[in-house]
Amino acid sequence: MNARAPRNQQLRRTWSSVFETGTGARIYPYLMVLPAIIIVVGVVVYPLVSGVMSAFYDVTLRTLNSGDMAFVGLRNFERVFADPSFGIASFNTLVWVVLNVVVQLSLGLGLALLLHRAIPGIGFFRSGILVPWVVPSVVAVLTWRWMYDPSVGIVNELLVRWGIIEDYHPWLGDTATSLYAVTVESIWKGTPFVMLLLLAALQLVPRSILEAASMDGASGWRKLWHVILPQIRVSFAIAAVLTFILTVNNFNAIWLMTEGGPLNSSEILFTLAYKYGFQRYDLGMASAVATMLFVGLVIATTLYLKLIQAKEGE
Amino acid sequence: MSSAAITATPAGTAVSVPPLRRSWTPKWLRVGFLYAGLWVAFVWCVFPFYWMIATSLRAKDELFARPPSLVPHSFTFQSYIDLLVGAEFWRFALNSLILTASVTIISVAISVTAGYAMARHRFKGSVALPLFMLYGQMFPPVLLLIPFYIQLRWLGWLDSLYGLIPVYLSYMLPLCVWLMRGFFSQVPHSLEDAARLDGCTRWQAFWRVILPMARPGIVAVATWVMIHTWNEFLYASTFILSDKNRTLPLGLSGLIGQYTTDWGMLMAGGVITSAPILLVFFFLQKHLVSGVGGGAVKG
Amino acid sequence: MRHFLKYSTAAAALAATLGATPAFADNVVLWVNAPLASAPDAPIYAELKAFEAETGHTVEIQAVPHMEMERNLFVAMSGGAGPDVMALDIAWVAGLADAGLLADVTDKSDPIADQYQPGPLSAGRFKQRQYAMPLYTNNVALYVNNKMLAEAGIDAAPKTWDEFQAAAIAMTDKDAGTFGLTFGGSRVGAFQLYPFIWQSGAEIIADDGTVGVDSPEAIEAVQFISGLYTEHQAMPASVLTANSWDEVNAPFIQERAGMLISGDWAIGALNNGNPDLDYSIVPLPAGKEAATVIGGYNLAINANSGVSDASWELVEWLTGPRSVELMAQYNRLSAQAAAATDEAIAKLPEELQPFMMQASAGHARPVVAQWSQIHSDVFGTVWDSALRGEPIDEVMTQAATQIRQILGQ
Repeated sequence: MNARAPRNQQLRRTWSSVFETGTGARIYPYLMVLPAIIIVVGVVVYPLVSGVMSAFYDVTLRTLNSGDMAFVGLRNFERVFADPSFGIASFNTLVWVVLNVVVQLSLGLGLALLLHRAIPGIGFFRSGILVPWVVPSVVAVLTWRWMYDPSVGIVNELLVRWGIIEDYHPWLGDTATSLYAVTVESIWKGTPFVMLLLLAALQLVPRSILEAASMDGASGWRKLWHVILPQIRVSFAIAAVLTFILTVNNFNAIWLMTEGGPLNSSEILFTLAYKYGFQRYDLGMASAVATMLFVGLVIATTLYLKLIQAKEGE
Repeated sequence: MSSAAITATPAGTAVSVPPLRRSWTPKWLRVGFLYAGLWVAFVWCVFPFYWMIATSLRAKDELFARPPSLVPHSFTFQSYIDLLVGAEFWRFALNSLILTASVTIISVAISVTAGYAMARHRFKGSVALPLFMLYGQMFPPVLLLIPFYIQLRWLGWLDSLYGLIPVYLSYMLPLCVWLMRGFFSQVPHSLEDAARLDGCTRWQAFWRVILPMARPGIVAVATWVMIHTWNEFLYASTFILSDKNRTLPLGLSGLIGQYTTDWGMLMAGGVITSAPILLVFFFLQKHLVSGVGGGAVKG
Repeated sequence: MRHFLKYSTAAAALAATLGATPAFADNVVLWVNAPLASAPDAPIYAELKAFEAETGHTVEIQAVPHMEMERNLFVAMSGGAGPDVMALDIAWVAGLADAGLLADVTDKSDPIADQYQPGPLSAGRFKQRQYAMPLYTNNVALYVNNKMLAEAGIDAAPKTWDEFQAAAIAMTDKDAGTFGLTFGGSRVGAFQLYPFIWQSGAEIIADDGTVGVDSPEAIEAVQFISGLYTEHQAMPASVLTANSWDEVNAPFIQERAGMLISGDWAIGALNNGNPDLDYSIVPLPAGKEAATVIGGYNLAINANSGVSDASWELVEWLTGPRSVELMAQYNRLSAQAAAATDEAIAKLPEELQPFMMQASAGHARPVVAQWSQIHSDVFGTVWDSALRGEPIDEVMTQAATQIRQILGQ
C-alpha cells in the first residue's frame, strides 16, 4: 500500500539519487568515510610507523644528527626492562588507569543522570560542571599544585579546619599519597567529558521507554540497570575506551605536578618514556616504552570491544 | 515535528502492571536531594576555578599569606589590565579563534559522514576501519613530535596556523568519528525507514532527518574538538615559533618563568582563556536537549 | 597599475637592502629564553637594533619559554632545523655539544677568553673545546630573615657550617611553627646541595672524570644538610615536594623559615610576596672552602647554521663588553670579567652585590653529556632518599655506581 508512494517520488531526481542504485550505491559508504581516511592515513601513518620503528633502532640525539642509526633489535627493550623504574611505572600505570577509568565513568554517569532532567537552572549547573574540562590543562594542573601546597595550599587549610587532618600535609611530596593526589586532579578534569558524552546519549533515549518503565513502577536502580544503560551502551562503551586512552596518555597532570616523583612514586609509563626521550635524549628507549604502551592499549581496547560485540550478539 | 506523538510504547510494557509502589519520599524531598546533589557536584567542579579567580584578584603580597583565606582580602584587577592592554594578547586570541573554528568545522563535517557510514552501512572494512583509526590515537603524542616536525618541515608548513590544522585533525578526527558513530547507532532505524518511505534518497534521509536527530551528539563532538583545540599546547609550542602565530596557551606558558611565576597573571590568563568557551557552551548546551528525547518516533 | 605597484615596492625593497647594508648581510635566527624578550620594549630589542646598524646583518628573534626550550631545541635540531644562535641553560651545553649539534668556537673565542669570568666560561667548555659563551651568570647565596635571626639570639649571619647549623636550629620553634631553613626537594634540592658538596672538598665529577660522590666528604655534606630535616626538624615539610622555586620561597616569605638558599631570581619574588620582609643576602657559609653553584644562560651556535660568521658576530656582541650594560637593565649579572671588579660591583644594586662578590667561588656543574640525566635521576633521587631517612652512605655509594655506569666507566 505504502510502496507506491516512494516509487512515484523517486521520479523526482536530485543529485543524490545517484547513490540509490548500482555503482553509486556501492561506493556511497566509501565516499562518506573517504575524507576521514585520507586525513588519518596522510597524517598519522608516517609518525606512527616511524615511532614504532625507533624502538628497534639506536636513536639518540647524536645518531639523529649524524643520520647513522643502527638497527639494534630488542636491545632498547632489554635496557628498559633492566631499569628498576620500569616495574614501578608499570604498576603505577595500572593503578592510575583503573582508578581513573572506574571513577570517571561512574561519576560521569551519575552526573549525566543528575543533569539530564529539564529543571530550572539546569543550564547553569551544566555549564558549571563543564568548567574543569574547559580550563587550559597547564593552568588547571598548576592551580591544583598550589591547592595541595604544604605551605599555602587551600586544600590543607580546609582539611585542617574541618578537622580531617592535624597539620598541613605535603600531599604531592609523600610517596604514599602522591599518585592518588594527582589522580584526584585527573578525575576532576576528565569527568565532565564523560558526563557530556553520556548526557548527549541519554537525550537520545526515547522518552516513551523511560515513561513506560516509570509506569511499570520500576525502582530507580532497576530502571537505570535494565532500561537506561542498555539504551546508551554503545556510547558508554565508547566513553570507556576514550577515557582509557586519554588516561594512559595524560601527561600534563603528572608531569607538571610531580614529574613522576618523589622517588618514582607517581611515575607512569608515559612520564618514563618522556624522561628517556627528552631528558636522556634516548628516543630508542622512549619508543620502546611507547611501543609497549601502544601494543597494550591496542590489545586491551580490541578485547574490550570484541567482548561488547559478543554480548550484543547474545 | 509532531512532538506529542508518543504513540508507540515498546510491546508488552503496558500489560501486567505490578501494583504501583510509590516511593515513600515526597516529591519536594526528592527535588531537594536532586538540587543538593547538583550543588555538591557544582562546588566540586567549580572550586578550583574559583580558586584561580581568587588568586588572579589577590594582591601580590597576599598570595603567600598563611593561612590562605577563601575570599581575597583585597581585590586588584591589575593582572587583567596588564593582560588585556597591549596587542599581544588579542593577537593570540585571534589566532586561537581562527584555528579552533577551522578545526572544529572540518572535523565535525568529516566525522559526521564517516561516523554515520560506519554506524549504518555494511561495507568492506566497516568493522576494521574504526578500530584502525582508533589505534592511531594510542601512541604517546610526545613521541610523535619529531616525525610530525619532519613532515611539516618537508611541506614547508612549520610555524604556521594552517600547518597545525592537519596535526590537530589527526588526533581529533578518530575520536570524533567514534563518538558520532556511537550517537548514530542510537538513532532508531525506524526514523530513517520512515523517511525513505516518504521518498527521500539515502542522502536526503541522512541530511534532513537523521542529522537533526543527532544534534546532541554533534554538539558534544563539537564541544570536544573546540575545547581541545582551544587549549592544545604541546604541538603548538613545538611547531609555532614566531610571536605572530602564537596561540593563547602559548601566551599562557610564557607567563611561567624559569624560577618564579607571576601567579596573578597566569591565573588571570587562565580565566580569560576559559571564559569564551564557557560562554559558547552555555548557549550550546540547550541543543543538547532535543532529538529523539522529544519523542518523535513514528510507528 | 597593479604591476606598477608591485615593481615599485620590489624596487624600493631592493634599494633599501642595497643601500643600508654592506656586501655580506646575513639573516640570523636567534632563540632566547622568554624573560629576555618578554615585552616589545625589552632591552634586547634595542641591543639587536644597534647590532644590525653596526654590522648590517638582520636578526630574527624568537622567544622560547625556559620550560619548552630544551624540548623545542631537541625536536627542531633532530629535524635538521633550529635557530642559528640559541640561548642555552648552561647545564644543557654538554649534551648538545656531544651530539655534534653545536659549532666549535674555540678558535674564535680563545683570543677573547680573558674577557670572561673563568667559572661561567668553563660551563661552555666541553672536552677542551669551547661551544658556548656566557650571556649572563648567577649563583646561589644565603638569604637570612634579620628579625627571626635576632629573635633567636644570634647577632650575625652564619659564615661557617657550624654557625649555619646552630642558626637553623635556633630559629626552629615547633610551637611557633617556625623553621631554620627552607629547601627544595628532588632536582631543586639537589641544585642547592651541590655547593655544600664542593665546600666539603669533594668533587661531583672531577675534570678527569673521577666520580667523587661516594667520598667521605661528599657523604658528610649530604648528611649535614639532610640532617637539618631528618634529625633537627629545622626544615618545613614543604621540602618533600618543593620542585619549583616558588614553593621553596613560600615559607621564607611567610616568615616561617629563617633562611633560604637561592639566586638573585628570588629577590623579585620575595619583595612581591611580602614587601615588609626584612632580610639580608650574604655569601653562602663556607665549609673547608667557599663554594657556590653557577647558573645562567649561554649563547651557542648551531653546527648546521648557514651563517656561522654572522652568528659568531652576534654572540660576541651580546656576550661581550656591552653585556655589562645590557644585563644591568635586566637586573642580571654579566659574566664579563670587567663586571666583577670592585668598582663594577659597587655600581650594582645593593642586593646583587653579594652574588658578584662570591662569583670567584663559583663552580660550574660537571660538563658531561649526560648531566641532565645525572642531575634529575641520580641526584634528585639521592636527595629525596636522604630526606626520607635512607642511610646516606648507601645512597651515595649507589649514586656513584650509577653515575659511573651512565658515564660508561
